[in-house]
Amino acid sequence: MVELRIRVNGEDRTLDVRPNETLLDVLRNRLNLKSVKAACWRGECGLCTVLLDGKPVKSCLVLAAEVNGSEITTVEGLGLDGRLSAIQRAFLEKGAIQCGFCTPAFVLVAEALSKLNPAPTEAEIRESISGVLCRCTGYKQIVEAILSAISR
Amino acid sequence: MTAMTLPEFEFRSPETLEEALKMLWEKKEESAVLAGGTDLLVDMRSRIKRPKLLVDIKRIPELREISYNPETGLVIGAAITLNEILKDDTVRERYSLLQKAVSLMCDSILRNRATLVGNICNASPAADTAPPLLVLDAKVRIASVKGFREVKIEDFFKDVKRSCLEPWEMVTHVIVPDPPKESKGTYLKAGRTKEDLAIVGVAALACKDDGKRVRIAYASVAPTPIRVREVEEMFAKEKPLPDLIEDVISVVKSRISPISDVRASAEYRLHLVEVLTRMALFEVLGGVQDG
Repeated sequence: MVELRIRVNGEDRTLDVRPNETLLDVLRNRLNLKSVKAACWRGECGLCTVLLDGKPVKSCLVLAAEVNGSEITTVEGLGLDGRLSAIQRAFLEKGAIQCGFCTPAFVLVAEALSKLNPAPTEAEIRESISGVLCRCTGYKQIVEAILSAISR
Repeated sequence: MTAMTLPEFEFRSPETLEEALKMLWEKKEESAVLAGGTDLLVDMRSRIKRPKLLVDIKRIPELREISYNPETGLVIGAAITLNEILKDDTVRERYSLLQKAVSLMCDSILRNRATLVGNICNASPAADTAPPLLVLDAKVRIASVKGFREVKIEDFFKDVKRSCLEPWEMVTHVIVPDPPKESKGTYLKAGRTKEDLAIVGVAALACKDDGKRVRIAYASVAPTPIRVREVEEMFAKEKPLPDLIEDVISVVKSRISPISDVRASAEYRLHLVEVLTRMALFEVLGGVQDG
């Protein structure tokens, strides 16, 4: 077992993990953060994306033991006092949601992009989301939502 | 579900290189170096690899180095991610060929974890960083408990997914010398999507002050990434560029051995080699060779 100390959505957590547990396993099964989706388990679909020290990573390809001392953000940690973040609101307004399975990953990638680049072009947005798959809407509304939220 | 679970292993994250090398020496074949994990953990989940010990090298300060000086060139540590390479001003200004290849790899999320050293250590024939490193005469610095050694990138790749590394060794840095003065390079990649592995990748580097040489290297057309040295002198000949390029392509085709796989047939790969070589050579010779 490895003792893991991490800060998840602003809260310090200490737990013992097995070396072969991924960050995805720990977030979903131990900390009950079900917004982090498990799907391909090989880094292709991007649905398990979370922010690790502010940067998007695919949590199925990160061992929990690797991130000792880090800060993790999932969509459960977005917004203030139960209010949605600007990016979350834009996803609703632009209809960038259909089944919703991929939405947490897209929202987190957009949150990270907005901190890095206050005025991204459409091409930069498409590049930043290229590692996340959506099988419902196509990507048009998602790109529109991110554009409108960040340039707001 | 068992397919989703990683096999069991011991995990260590040493803070010095010495400690890491000792761990590799003790476990040899049963150990594996963990940097980004974007290849290793996929292979472990599918049981292609079953190391008993993972040595996470990301807390070792000297492996977190990316630096440049005109004598040595660019030094990239084993823990440096692809996105850290893309952000580096020197890479953008002096190593645009490498910058372009890295920007075409996987996706921007995976690039926050995946490393260049991991890409070469995985030794895939499709490694996108390999063709640029081959034409730039990169060197690989290797460490073990027995000491350090440096090999040319050309001697590093041995076979499909096999490098010259011994099980107790690890790559600490890749060193990329300054590109020749007034050189111009490019990397072209054909893939099903931008995120997928290369069906064919071509790096070309035209060097004006080197007897009008052009260095060309390929991914995904042979058991290892390959530099076709036989064509380099051909560019000194007085011949119209289109004819010269056709001569070069025929030599290239005799030196490679593409296979058919899930991504493309061998025939299609040969066709892409023609097309991409032509495009790459017109691009790099446009500004260098007269006529």
